[in-house]
Amino acid sequence: MLREFGEYLRTRPFALAGVIGVVAITLIAIFAPWVAPHDPLAQDLMASFKPPAWQADGTWKYPLGTDLLGRDILSRLIYGARYSLLISVGSVLLGTAIGFITGLLAGYFGRWTDTILMRLGDIQLAFPFVLFAIAILAVSQERTWWQLVLVLGGSSWIIYARVVRSRVLTEREKDYALAARALGASRWRVLFRYILPNVWQPIPLIGMLNLGFFVIVESLLSFLGLGLTPPTPSWGTILADGRQVMMVSGWVAVFPGVAILLTVLSISLAADGLADFFDPKLTHGNFRRVPLPPAERADQDPADGAPLLRVRDLTTIFPTRKGTIRALNGVSFDLEKGSVLGVVGESGSGKSTLGLSIIQLLDAPGRVAGGEIRFDGKDLARLSNRELTAIRGKRIGMIFQDPSSSLNPVLTVGYQLKETLRRHRSLPPHQAHEAARQALSAVGIADPDRVLRAYPFQLSGGMNQRVMIALAMVSEPELLILDEPTSALDVTTQAQLLDELDGLRQRHKMSMIFITHDIALISSFADDILVMYAGHVCEIGPRDQVIDQPRHPYTRALLDAVERVAVTETSRLAAIPGDPPDLTRLPPGCPFANRCPQVMPICHQVKPRRVAVGPNHEAACHLIDSPPSAPSQYGTTAVEAGRAAPASSVVANDNRSSRGNSSLVETAEDARGTNSISSTDRGRGESNEG
Amino acid sequence: MSSYILQRTIQMVIVIFGVVTVTFFAIRLVPGDPARLMERPGTSEEVIKQTRQRLGTDKPLSVQYVNFLKDLVRGDLGTSFRGNRPVREAVLEALPNTFALGAVTMVITTVLSFVIGIGAALRPNSLLDRIALVFVAIAQATPSYWLGVVLVLIFSIRLGWLPAIDLEGPASFVLPTITLTISLMPLLIRAVRQGFIEALGEGFVRAGRARGLSERRLLFVHVMKVAAIPLITLVGLEAGYVLGGAVVIESIFNWPGIGLMALLAIQQRDFPVVQGTVLAIAVVFTLVNFLVDLTYAALDPRVKY
Repeated sequence: MLREFGEYLRTRPFALAGVIGVVAITLIAIFAPWVAPHDPLAQDLMASFKPPAWQADGTWKYPLGTDLLGRDILSRLIYGARYSLLISVGSVLLGTAIGFITGLLAGYFGRWTDTILMRLGDIQLAFPFVLFAIAILAVSQERTWWQLVLVLGGSSWIIYARVVRSRVLTEREKDYALAARALGASRWRVLFRYILPNVWQPIPLIGMLNLGFFVIVESLLSFLGLGLTPPTPSWGTILADGRQVMMVSGWVAVFPGVAILLTVLSISLAADGLADFFDPKLTHGNFRRVPLPPAERADQDPADGAPLLRVRDLTTIFPTRKGTIRALNGVSFDLEKGSVLGVVGESGSGKSTLGLSIIQLLDAPGRVAGGEIRFDGKDLARLSNRELTAIRGKRIGMIFQDPSSSLNPVLTVGYQLKETLRRHRSLPPHQAHEAARQALSAVGIADPDRVLRAYPFQLSGGMNQRVMIALAMVSEPELLILDEPTSALDVTTQAQLLDELDGLRQRHKMSMIFITHDIALISSFADDILVMYAGHVCEIGPRDQVIDQPRHPYTRALLDAVERVAVTETSRLAAIPGDPPDLTRLPPGCPFANRCPQVMPICHQVKPRRVAVGPNHEAACHLIDSPPSAPSQYGTTAVEAGRAAPASSVVANDNRSSRGNSSLVETAEDARGTNSISSTDRGRGESNEG
Repeated sequence: MSSYILQRTIQMVIVIFGVVTVTFFAIRLVPGDPARLMERPGTSEEVIKQTRQRLGTDKPLSVQYVNFLKDLVRGDLGTSFRGNRPVREAVLEALPNTFALGAVTMVITTVLSFVIGIGAALRPNSLLDRIALVFVAIAQATPSYWLGVVLVLIFSIRLGWLPAIDLEGPASFVLPTITLTISLMPLLIRAVRQGFIEALGEGFVRAGRARGLSERRLLFVHVMKVAAIPLITLVGLEAGYVLGGAVVIESIFNWPGIGLMALLAIQQRDFPVVQGTVLAIAVVFTLVNFLVDLTYAALDPRVKY
């Protein structure tokens, strides 16, 4: 752990500086008597108000000068660190302790406990802190460090209490807590044994940030004359002294401020670093498309005769800090006008990435690294952003898996529909409303007026997906990409929606790419089927041929899984044992080799070529003993076979493009997660075999 | 909606009653006899006793408390121990000064934080983003009162450009506003940046691009609305803080606002003024929070009361 953190710090100079700063200040505080050149209380009245050493009148005997009584400012600052840190750390510990206990009690017992504690917190928040501190601290003439700890810690508990309380509120309703309670565990036992381990996590970080805040507040109290009783030095008292003599010697007030600034800065840099280490946020940037440079051989296909979409050797990568994820590895296919291509695979197979690559909406840092995406003769990957806007959202549309997150939650359906209508057709306002109604009616919505007024959260998933389709159809696209459009919906709604889509496709002569993990779903709908695995095309061909005569073992495994569909989702998806390969270090041979029931030695060494196995039917597998006279019609097998997989380090495969798919990969991961949790006795019983 | 407003109003009354009660007893339990502080040292006990009678501090605490509450219900905040001025009048005179400083500060803070935060969110890890984050880290680590002192040291004492203290025309706003703005901005910039980065990564932004909406429309209509709603709470908290009297800043710049008034009253043990000012601060703070929650409900269709 410590070693990992060390490695991590090397890539984060700011966090490293923060950690070094915190360690240095702590050491200085602990070893103050050995570090400080003078006794902090020793007076040298002959050397009153010496300026810092680098000033004309300064002396290196007192590097940062002296105060009114001729005391060495550097030594006072060094000793001051002791008290400043002692008070701040003590206050954080006290505030955390009180806040943690009240938060647990308020959250778990609720009712009047909750009401009283939380209203007390409200009063505390509405009460100016400084006045609170004054009321308490003005009582005593002699103020010691623990009195300050009482004031600071006692006024900060509410922050922790609120965080803990809200976490307890969620945790106590979870299955494991309810189960423990039902099994007869006492409430206290449930609270401390089961809930507590799940709610403390954010506290250390808040405490760390609060620590920096307390260093400032301690000095503020001293500044207001409510700090430690003189002559005990803390940064605040030195600063307060400095303010008195500001007109004579400004330096005295500047140095303690700088000390506070550097300390708090170190603490917050270290805290940010820790936060990112434990909870790595995606540090990828915002969406930003950079077109590929023009191809060397600029042979523009004549538009007539060519298919609507011709994808050749498409390669998409996600360069990450831990290695390059090779999400698509030389994908090739054609899509004719008016036909439907079903793309099938597990999550992580690259099927969503394929859709996003075509419409050029890959999340950063993903990008198309090679190949061609020729739509109506134009290579989409090489168009400028400006040229692309004439195609994306106009001639190519896309519909995503989760309809509710694809709509803006705080704008009405009507607003979003009308803004899209105005974008694609120039309509006067009064006609926009009628056009919006028609657009909804066209996708089978019976009461368009109600839906237009509604916000997405007021509509069902199926209704939202209909709205998404209506939005996509506004521009009457020639190609519609559908990424698991029905996965989030129940079976009945699924069937209705598929009917609706089929009708639209026939009416508008639209081409579709229908991405799904469910080969059964697509077999009734698609003209052609493309089976993907680990960013490779395993098999492609007309629907009936692929379904009835699958040639790739992976296709067969997918179909076998469907036949055993009688049982639950879990066992159905667990039908193919093993995990897909790590996309940052693909094996040199066939990507499916380690899970293939018919694996041969050659499969681990040589990547299989894609060869024709029937009319328009191709597969990439060494089992197919094809005559050399039947090469792939897509003419890219040489490239594909020759591509050596680069080795690089470990990373999980891309979760962003496959969020929420219930599939093999995730089932396997889920099962692992469950095992590790149940080993720590959280009472989660369900065991999935992975 | 109206039942929610009623419920919140009752809660506010309870919280304010709590604040006032705590103040009442805290200030009286702290050592320091206002009568003795008012008279010159060496004044005879007889005179001090008379003064106590005049102020009413000789009566038992419970009697004083009941009288205080009776007056409060009638809207009477009592009379200052010093100068015999009605507290309500003094408070109403100080509040506009605090509001003026608070309003100027909040407008500048909000505008700057949104511009910087959005700019940083649009290009994470860009130069602007890095500069913004360095500024945030340093500003957060700077004690605001120290910054005030240093600014006075430089711009008033060394350079003599700006007035150091008191409210004497627009120039007086400059230093206190800068000091407050710098101490309020870091939290807001961070929150704006984070909120916009999250909103920009939402599915509806990608879906908007997929149906051809312009980047400008996506940012200023879609992302802005989603990201700004939660930020209202934070802006409200900060506004409650400065509008309720930034005690320390007012004392550094001798700003004739409610915070300075409270601080002086505590030092002088002027009980009615302490009670009046704390009441005013608590009322402003809770009202601002209440307004924030109402705004939130009005802007976010998902929130229903």
